[in-house]
Order: sequence, then structure tokens, then C-alpha cells
Amino acid sequence: MFDLLIFVAIPYISIALALFVTPYRYLSGRLTWSAYSTQFLERKSLFWGSVPWHYGVVILLIGHAIGFLFPSAVQSLLSSMTRLFVMESIALGLGLLTLLGTFVLLFRRVFTGVRAVSNIADYIVLLLVLNQAITGVYMGIFARWGMEWYLHTAVPWLYSLLTFQPNVALVSGLPLAFKIHVLGAFLILAFLPFTKFVHFLFFPVGYLTEPPILYRWVKRRKA
Amino acid sequence: MDVRAQLVMVFNLDKCLGCHTCSISCKNIWTDRKGAEYMWWNNVETKPGAGYPRFWEDQEKYRGGWVVKGNNVKLKAFGKLSILLNIFYQPHMPKLEDYYHPWTYEYSKLYEGGEEDDQPVAEPVSLITGEKIEIESGPNWDDDLGGSPLYAENDVNLEERRILNTFSRLFMFYLPRICNHCLNPACVAACPQRAIYKRGEDGVVLVDQNTCRGWRFCVTACPYKKVYYNWNTGKSEKCIFCYPRTETGQANACAHSCVGKIRHVGVVLYDADGIDDVIRAREKDLVDAQRRIILDPNNENIVRLARENGVPESWIQAAKTSPAYDLIKRFEVAFPLHPEFRTVPMTFYIPPLSPILATQKIAYEVEDCQEIPTKDMLRVPAKYLSRLFSAGNEEVIHEALDRMIVLRHYMRAKNLGESFDESLLRKSGLTEDRAERLYRLFTLASYDDRFAIPPAHREYDAKDVEQRKGAKGFGVLTGPRGGL
Ligand code: HEM
Ligand code: SF4
Ligand code: SF4
Repeated sequence: MFDLLIFVAIPYISIALALFVTPYRYLSGRLTWSAYSTQFLERKSLFWGSVPWHYGVVILLIGHAIGFLFPSAVQSLLSSMTRLFVMESIALGLGLLTLLGTFVLLFRRVFTGVRAVSNIADYIVLLLVLNQAITGVYMGIFARWGMEWYLHTAVPWLYSLLTFQPNVALVSGLPLAFKIHVLGAFLILAFLPFTKFVHFLFFPVGYLTEPPILYRWVKRRKA
Repeated sequence: MDVRAQLVMVFNLDKCLGCHTCSISCKNIWTDRKGAEYMWWNNVETKPGAGYPRFWEDQEKYRGGWVVKGNNVKLKAFGKLSILLNIFYQPHMPKLEDYYHPWTYEYSKLYEGGEEDDQPVAEPVSLITGEKIEIESGPNWDDDLGGSPLYAENDVNLEERRILNTFSRLFMFYLPRICNHCLNPACVAACPQRAIYKRGEDGVVLVDQNTCRGWRFCVTACPYKKVYYNWNTGKSEKCIFCYPRTETGQANACAHSCVGKIRHVGVVLYDADGIDDVIRAREKDLVDAQRRIILDPNNENIVRLARENGVPESWIQAAKTSPAYDLIKRFEVAFPLHPEFRTVPMTFYIPPLSPILATQKIAYEVEDCQEIPTKDMLRVPAKYLSRLFSAGNEEVIHEALDRMIVLRHYMRAKNLGESFDESLLRKSGLTEDRAERLYRLFTLASYDDRFAIPPAHREYDAKDVEQRKGAKGFGVLTGPRGGL
């Protein structure tokens, strides 16, 4: 029952929410589309929270995505023990960065002036990412070679979700930490359209090739 | 040549009395909101002084504006790639305390407190946390040289700290500041989301609140610290040049309410192709380079090019009667603030003719020149003015001060029916007619003299008008039921 909930029901609900509510928010509530930075109010500890957290999570997420998109390529990359060991160590290091980051972020939410400007959603967001960091690092240490088994369990299960033939058997035997990690991930997806999580959907890069000064005209000029 | 039009404000510092009325009218209209309590889109600071935010002119600390590197002009704070690397935490962004912690008083305690042994007091409480706070600074904390050993003496433009302890040489004046709606705005260039833009028609620089994601690079990049981060909405905001007012031909709230009538607003035509030369000019040439791209609205050729570029007829006419053009270019008495930041600011300042130095010698000397001092007798050192308004070029400041002094002599002679050597007028670039105009602008300037603001021509926006009809509220392009 529990497995069906976290491996079938919640994923589908979350994906549906993210897919349909996010564009709605983009069209109707873009004035709330922001990371709601608190650096302005507190910056000393933010540095030790935001920087490790983001550098950790952004790279790790890309890693997850690569494993999902190109499983066979990753498989052959990890075929040598040394390579697997190096990659896992890097991942664990990044995981520890996110753990440090989330602890600091949560600490400053609760114990500094930032608290006064926080609402429930700010805490939910941080608790969700803290959960990901803790369970992720836990697996990195106690359920070794996750990079390897991720490819044979989680990835095929995700594909089975995408093809609407959910195969829970692929992942039901995995440790509890994994289940909580997956549950957390889909909860993040579910909360995405309702919280400041939307901030990472538009990573600005277009400006790199544009001229520095942007003009807007009511009426386009001829020339 | 690419002729464009911009609305420009000119401040006559001689007349500013430091009353802060401008700041209050701006605050009442635009920033009396949650998250914006600390913002003063218009602020007035005492010079010499620390200003708001404290020591904003010190770009070694705040890293605003542009710097010339070889053939390139780059943002001082970050290159394009380092923007991406610093997006999670910005090393040079000012913090709340650099402005001040906004507060109010518990006024309700005064009448709701009930009966007590002591007199009720209204204690200060933070407008952000709601908790009691100790007031440590404010938006004009060093007004009138208050606390000068801490503030004024550390003014980066001040060469001699001693001057503030020497009574006969002590000086001060007020500097009202708004966003300069620059021609090379660092805030625009720094925004990776491309949320900040300069309006082609009138040059107003705006933050699109729908596009802004709160990355805050603009706050760091603006050397004047005139983009502010709203911690409540998670977005940046700035002076909007009161465009809802100017679009209908009314003066900006700050300018309209100005008690000293120091502000002039008018259309200026400029050559957008020339901006590149201005930002590369040597420091001493910056003022001249900027004057060069400001174009004569009475030149037929320029008017033709403006028309071809779509500048409406009413704007061309307004440019011809523009007080801003006259003060900046025809009389060359108004200067950009800190042109060395290379954003090509488009508000201009007429430097103050300060009182004379309080030494006995000068008190006698000034009698010899009909009580009208020469520029060497003035208290505010030209060097100091040049550091504010001409990137250190004292010559252009001297020229302007001279012109204003000659004007005084001329008007004095005229009012007393005395004769006046016209060659003196001509030597400082004036004629009787021109002197008359400058005199009017300096002294009599009625509302219509000070403001020549042509309404915007939104009717060009024909398609948009159709869309907006029946939409809800101002400028929000969603249907009545909100989006989908
Ligand atoms: C990919 C590009 C991303 C960018 C540019 C970005 C940028 C930012 C910025 C500017 C802040 C505000 C920090 C401050 O207070 O000044 C922030 C906060 C935050 N970000 Fe990201 N982020 C990205 C990705 C992510 C991802 C993938 C996650 C997690 C799934 C994430 C989770 C968070 C959280 C939880 C906070 C809140 C910290 C707090 O307010 O306590 N971010 N992000
Ligand atoms: S002063 Fe210039 S750089 Fe600063 S906000 Fe205004 S337009 Fe942008
Ligand atoms: S209202 Fe006018 S005179 Fe008063 S401080 Fe502002 S600019 Fe100066």
C-alpha cells in the first residue's frame, strides 16, 4: 500500500500539479515569481548556506538527470571501479555541501532576523530540501554505489511511470532512506508551483549574447 | 546619427533648501508600502556627507558603474560569466544597514495604554520585524553636517578633511537625488533576466515587475544605488520618473512639490550613436563628450532626423522650449552627477554659488566688487564641485560659475540703471537676450517655464489599446478572470 502511494499515486499527482499549475502561475501570478532573497536582511550566514547548497544541488540534479536520460552511457562510464569510486566520492562531497547548506539556511531562518519575514512556505521549502540532503547523504554512505543501482532500479521505474505502466516491483525492495528520498523529491515537485521553488525554472542565459542595453518601444521604429 | 528624445530633470542647487518635501511626496505616492519602507527613490543629502546609502559614492566598496579596460567598457562589479557564478550570493550588494533600518513609533501606546504611574511613551519599533529597536541611522542621518567626524569628513570627494574644522572655510549644500535614467544604464546591463529596460520614447528606465526574478544584480551595478530590493515582493524597484504623471504632461511629484522651485524638466534630443564615444572618453573630457551628443532642437537637420526616427511633433516643439536643453547645452551651467561612473546620467545639476569665505580679507574685497563675489571667494571649493560634477575637470566648473557671476553683475547694473560692459557678457557666452532667459530660469521661473513636458503618444500603440480594452486594471494584460 505504502509503496503504491509513494511510487505511483504521489508521483502522478505531483507531476500533474507541476505540469499544469506552473504554467497557470506563470500566466496569472508572475508578480510572485522570485527566489525571495533574504540576503538584504542577513548576509553573513547566508553565504555559508546558499553557496554550498546551490553548488551542491545544481550539480547533483544535473547528475540525476544525466543518469536518467543516458543510462547506458553512464553505465559504461562507471564500468571501471576507480571511475565509479571517484564519481561516488565527488557526489558524496557535493551531498555534504548541500547538507551543510541546508542546515545553515534553516538555522538562519529560525535564529536570525530573517525569522520575522518568514512564512510557513519558507519553512516547508527548507524542510523538504533538508530531507533530500539527509537521505541523499545517508544513502551515499550506507547504501553504497547508488550511482550503479540507481541505473537499474530508479531509472527503469521512472521510465515505467512515463509509459503509464508503473512497475513498483523495481524499487519496492530498496531501503527506507531511498523511499523517503523519492517521496521528498515528488513532494518538492508538487510544491513547486505553489512556493518559491519556481525560482529555478528560468535560469537566465539569454543575456550572454545580447547587447548590454535593452530598449523597449511602444511603436517599433522603422530602422 | 540616431536622434532620440528623453525627458531630463535639471536641479538648481543654489536654490535647494534641504526641506525634503520632494522625498516625502515621492514616498507618499510610490514607496509607502511593505518592503519599500526603507526606499527613498528621491532623497536629499548634505554634501559633504555620507549620503544614502552610506558612502554610496565609494565604488571600491560597492563596485557600481562601469570601468574602461583597454578598448572595452565593462561593469565594475562583474563580467557576464561571473554574474552566473555569483547568482546565489552577491558579494558586493549593500545590506539593509547600509541604508538604515526603517522604523515607526508605537503611537497607539499613547492613547491605548490605560492608566499607569508613568507617562506613556511611544517607543520606536522596526517596520520589518515589528520589534522594539534602537535607532542607529536614518535616510538623512548626517543632515546639515551632523556627526561630521564620522560622516562628512569621510566623504570620498573631500580632499581636505580639515576644512570641516575650520570655521571660516566650512561649507555645505544639499544634493537631491533621483534615478538618473542614464543613457548607458549599468542596472540594465547587469540584469541577466533582462527585466530592466530603457523606454525608447522618453528614456525612462523601468524594472518590469513581471519579468524581474529578484537576482539583484542591478542593485550592485547602479553606482548611484538607485535600484532598491523589496524584501517583501522579492523584486527590485526604482524611480519611475513618475511616468504616469509625465505621460499626461504633468510634472513629476518631486519636481511639482519642490519648495525651492529648483527643478526643471524638459525634452532633450540626443544622438544615440554617440553614446559609445561618451563612455570611452577620458575623464577630463567626459562632460564635453556628453554635451556633444545633446543636440540642438533648432537645427533643421536635426529636427528632420528626429522626425524620421519617429519623434512626435509635439516632442520636437517641446524640445525647442526645453529649460533642460538651455541649462545643459545652451548656457552650459548644468552638469551630470559623477560622470566618471560612465552610465551617462541624464539628470543635471547647476552647482551652487555658495556664500563667501568668512575671512576678513575677503569681507573687504567683496565690497570692491559691488558685493558680488568672484568665484575665488566662494566657500565651496571648485575642486570639490568638480569631483561631483565633472570627473575632476575644474575648468568647466569655473566657466559655469563665472557665467553665473557675470549674470549677477549684468542684472544688478540693469536694475539700477547703470551701464554694463557688454563684452563681459559676450566673453562668458551670453548676450542680452540669453542673459534675460537665464535670469528668468534662475529666478522667476513659473510652472510653465520650469516644466515643458509633452504628453506621451500612447495612441501609436493601437493594437495594444484593443487588447487593453476590457482588461483588468492598469497595464495588466490578463483577462478579467485572471489568465486562463
Ligand atoms: C539553477 C539555478 C538556481 C538559481 C539561479 C537559484 C538562485 C537562488 C537565489 C538567488 C536564492 C536566494 C538566496 C538569498 O536569500 O539571497 C535561492 C534560494 C533558494 N534556492 Fe535556489 N537557485 C537555483 C536552483 C535551486 C534548486 C535546484 C533548488 C532546490 C531544489 C533550490 C533551492 C533553493 C532554496 C530552498 C532556497 C531558499 C533559501 C532560503 O531562503 O532560506 N535552488 N536560490
Ligand atoms: S541611475 Fe542609471 S544605473 Fe542607476 S538605476 Fe538609474 S538608470 Fe540605472
Ligand atoms: S523639495 Fe526642492 S528645495 Fe526641498 S529638498 Fe527637495 S529639491 Fe530641495
